[in-house]
Order: sequence, then structure tokens, then C-alpha cells
Amino acid sequence: MTDPRPTDPAGSLVAPPAPTAAALPPAPPAPPTPASLAANRSVAPTFVQVDTSQPIVLERVSRWYGNVVAVNDITFALGSGITGLLGPNGAGKSTLLHMLAGLLRPSSGRVLINGRPAWLEPSVYRQIGLVPEREAVHSFLTGRQFVDLAARLHGLPDPAGATQRAIATVDLATVADRAVGTYSKGMRQRVKIAAALVHEPTILLLDEPFNGMDPRQRLHMMDLLRSMAAAGRTILFSSHILEEVERLADGILVIYAGRLAAAGDYREIRRLMTDRPHTFRVRSSDDRRLASAFLTEPAVFGAELRDDRLAVQVSEFSGFTRIVARVARDAGVRLFEVAPTDDSLESVFEYLVSRR
Amino acid sequence: MNLVDVVVSIAAVTARALLGRRRTILMLLLAGAPVLLGLLVRLGGTRPGALPSALEGLIVSSVLPLVALVFGTAALGSELDDGTAVHILTKPIPRWAIVLPKLAVAGGLTALLLFPSTILAGILVGGLSSRELGLTFAYAIAVVIGSFVYSAIFVALSAATSRGLVIGLGYSLLWEGLLSGALKGTQLFSVREYIRGMASALAPRGSVESVVGAYGFVFAAVSIVVVTALASWRLARYEIRAAE
Repeated sequence: MTDPRPTDPAGSLVAPPAPTAAALPPAPPAPPTPASLAANRSVAPTFVQVDTSQPIVLERVSRWYGNVVAVNDITFALGSGITGLLGPNGAGKSTLLHMLAGLLRPSSGRVLINGRPAWLEPSVYRQIGLVPEREAVHSFLTGRQFVDLAARLHGLPDPAGATQRAIATVDLATVADRAVGTYSKGMRQRVKIAAALVHEPTILLLDEPFNGMDPRQRLHMMDLLRSMAAAGRTILFSSHILEEVERLADGILVIYAGRLAAAGDYREIRRLMTDRPHTFRVRSSDDRRLASAFLTEPAVFGAELRDDRLAVQVSEFSGFTRIVARVARDAGVRLFEVAPTDDSLESVFEYLVSRR
Repeated sequence: MNLVDVVVSIAAVTARALLGRRRTILMLLLAGAPVLLGLLVRLGGTRPGALPSALEGLIVSSVLPLVALVFGTAALGSELDDGTAVHILTKPIPRWAIVLPKLAVAGGLTALLLFPSTILAGILVGGLSSRELGLTFAYAIAVVIGSFVYSAIFVALSAATSRGLVIGLGYSLLWEGLLSGALKGTQLFSVREYIRGMASALAPRGSVESVVGAYGFVFAAVSIVVVTALASWRLARYEIRAAE
């Protein structure tokens, strides 16, 4: 049987190469491969081995709780632009964002914000705005008071003016004098964003920012983040929804089970997600004949009959869907059913991790 | 950066959070209890010389630590629990500027409730003679200072652990309640003893027995400073409790 992995052109992934086989912290650092990095310099934001001049730098960062590893040996650097942190729930996205925001100590490795460690350094908050996932805000404050509090704690020279601008930015002016406790989920999300923006940070970290927003608010927020990115800010947001990331992000970090599964341009990662080895379940008028017909195709590397079903292993998801009808017709076999067996995002992430 | 503005802003939000309706009513009831009990003592007829032990039993070793425990752990602990603290922690301010207003508000509210409570209970039990009145005011002032010591301890406990309320209750029952009464050596580390010391220094000579005496003021001040420093140190290392 041939290697199931697609032959991938060098440098399609811009992330630094992961240390070998699920390396746990004691493993030696893997050397960077300059070729793969140089090949994608044009992609914004850039992911490089360790360029400590970048606003956000993670260097071999791990975090564990007891003996549970939440984040496992992650290295990347982010420049300006919007980056989506994509992964299923529980993948370690919040842990990663909390380490960036200085609210969790990395168990090993370094987290740098503009060249300074995020942990034990309250001054980094001058440059960071954090929008946490939890909805909790002081519910007895009005939206304006809540943002004004943030402005004052930042020691801004004109807290009232900064508050007014931040509230206008997130389109909350009409309800700014209502208690936050009466806000809808989407309004709360926006008031948290206003509070995170009030000191005009160069880095904005958002944990699942689109949760609870209706489509109109979502579009508005995407426009807002785009304009902030255009002004040269570094924006990192987490999401478990591929479409959100795809629509907004210039670059993607895919995280699964605490490991960086892929990093780079979203089109590239989208391709990797689609063109991955796959198993299809096929029912037809003559499974045996169809199986031998498939085996002559280069896109197919295995076919077996299990429980009266034909399982076809292919090297590329989309490649196979293009040929399946033709092969069946040429073989004179009628197709009853063609179904992919593992189409969950989960299995996609698993595959991305396994191929690194 | 104007840290006064920071401290005042945090104090204002803390005060509004602490004065939720249910908590306020409960604390008013608690602070009213010594007054009611004082009334019962009065109706039952008082013995001379019973005032110090009555005030200690009614307030210093019971209601004071309880009220300070509720305000002290709510000031910081409940914000850390429900996640609202994140909005305050992610600001470029020294951590003591967060601990200090929390402590001041929790201690201030505790003192605000227990000063009148002590005065009323003292007058009911001891009457209005100048010696008894002096004793009552001595205790009331000591209780005010003790409110801040206890609050500092409970604010620090909630910075250090998510079980601040339970541990704080254990501390006030076991350490303050039992051990420091039974073992002489532990009295140097007992807030109750500091309060008794301060009261003995302020009260008419010879009316209150105390191990630490006027040093109670020093011990109380040192406790507040040390505990606040520890709380600030601990809060700087605060790690958000993971949702995932």
C-alpha cells in the first residue's frame, strides 16, 4: 500500500516545522527550514520561526494542568493583520489566548508581547485589548460606565471622550445608558469589545467574539475588525467555525488537542482540508467489479469489501468525487450510494495534526 | 498615570457590587443581632464587669469575623469567580492598586455596620456610666480597626484560593475561635487578641485584660501591610480558572 499522505509541495505550510512525533517538552528544538519560510513571505500575517520583533511571539509554549496537556509545544509569531485561531471546543484556544493576555503562566516556553513577557507584566495591557469569551460584566453598570471604567483604569487623559468614541465604534450609542444587565448577548459582546478598544491597543485578542451575535452584528463586527487591521493592528480571534475564520482572517492557526495543526494562508489550509486522504463507502450493482475498476485509478489506493459494502480509500477527497461517476459508467456498474465516512471537522483536524 | 483615580474607580465599582440588596439586608440583620442580644442581656439584669466579655462574645469573636468574611471574600473572590475581575486585571496598573480599594471598601462597610452595633450593644449591656461608656467606645474603635485587619485577610484569602469563603470560615472558627483562646503562644497571631489589646489601651485602666496590650495597634497595622502585600503578590500571579 502506498503512503496515504498526498505529496504536498514544499512550503505549502508556512508554520515552523513541529518537532518530531508529538514531541513533549524535553525534546530538542527542531531547526527552522528557511526554504519553507521564505516561500511564503508574501502571506500576511507572516508565520516565522522566532522573529522576536513581531508583536506576538510564542516560543515552544506548553501549558498543562496537572498531567493534562492543554497546549503542547506551540511556536509562532504574528504580525499585523487578522489571524483566526481555529479549532474544536477544548482544543486549547482559550488557554493560548489567556497566556497571551498574561492571565496564565506558560508551563514552558516563552510568550512575548512586543518583545516583553506577557506573564507578570501588567504594562503589556497598554498594548493589549482582551475580549474574553465569558459574558461576565458588572451588570449593574451602564454600558457607558463600564467602558468609562476601562478608560480610567488605563489612565487615559480624556476618559469620557475615549468612551464616547469606543461606544460609537461598536454601534452601541443608543443603549449606552442602559444597565449592562439588560443587554442582549450580542450587545454584551459589543460592550466588551468597546472596553477592550478604548485605549486603542495595537493588539486585540478576541475569544469566540461572534458567539451570540446576529448576522447583521456579525457583519458589522467583521467590518470593524477589518478596518482595525487595515490601521496596522494585530488581531487574533478564536473560533470553532471554519466559515467565520474563512471570511475574516488573512491567516489561520489551526489548533487541535493542544497542538498547532497548521498555520498559514486560509486558502492553503482549506485545500489541505479538502484534499486529504479519505474513505468513501460505495454501494453499487456490482461492488466487486467496481472495486477492481477503481484500483486502476491513480487517485485510489485501496478498495476492500466489508460487510457487503465497498470501502474505497482515496488520496484526495475532491479528486475522487470527480472520477467516481466516470469509472462506474466505464465499468458498466450502477452506483446506488457514495458517501464519505469521516467528514467531521474533528477528523479534519486530526488529519492535519497527523501529517505534521 | 493617576493611581488615585484608579483606586477610587475600583472602590466605587466594588462598593456597588457589595451593596447588592440581598447581601446588604443579611449583613444589616447580622449587625443588628448583637443589639438585640444586648437588649435581652439588659432585660435579664446585668452584672458589673460583664461588659468586655459580653462585647467580645457578641461582636469581636462572632459577628465581626462573619461580616468581614462575607464582604472580604465577595470584594475580590466573587469577581474572580464570575469572571468580571478579568476586566480589571487586564489593565496596566500595579496589583496593589486593585487589592487596596477592595480591602478598603470591604473593611469600610464592615466597620460602618459594626461601629454603631458595638456602641448600641455596649450601652445596652453596660449602661451610660462614664467608665462603661469609655469601655464601649474603646471596643468600638478597636472593632473598626479590626474590621480592616479581618477584611485584608479575607481579601487575601480569596486572591490565593477559589475557596476563600470556606477557608476563611475555618480560619475564624478554628484559629481565632478555638486555638487562640486555648494556647497562649498563638495569641500573637490572633486578630481577636489585637482587638482586645487595642481596646485595653483605649479603655479605662484595668478594665480589659490583654496579652499584647497597646502593641495591638502595631500588630494590626503590620498585619494589614503584610497581608495586603501578600494579596498583591498573589493577585499578580493569578491564573484564570480554565473554562475548557
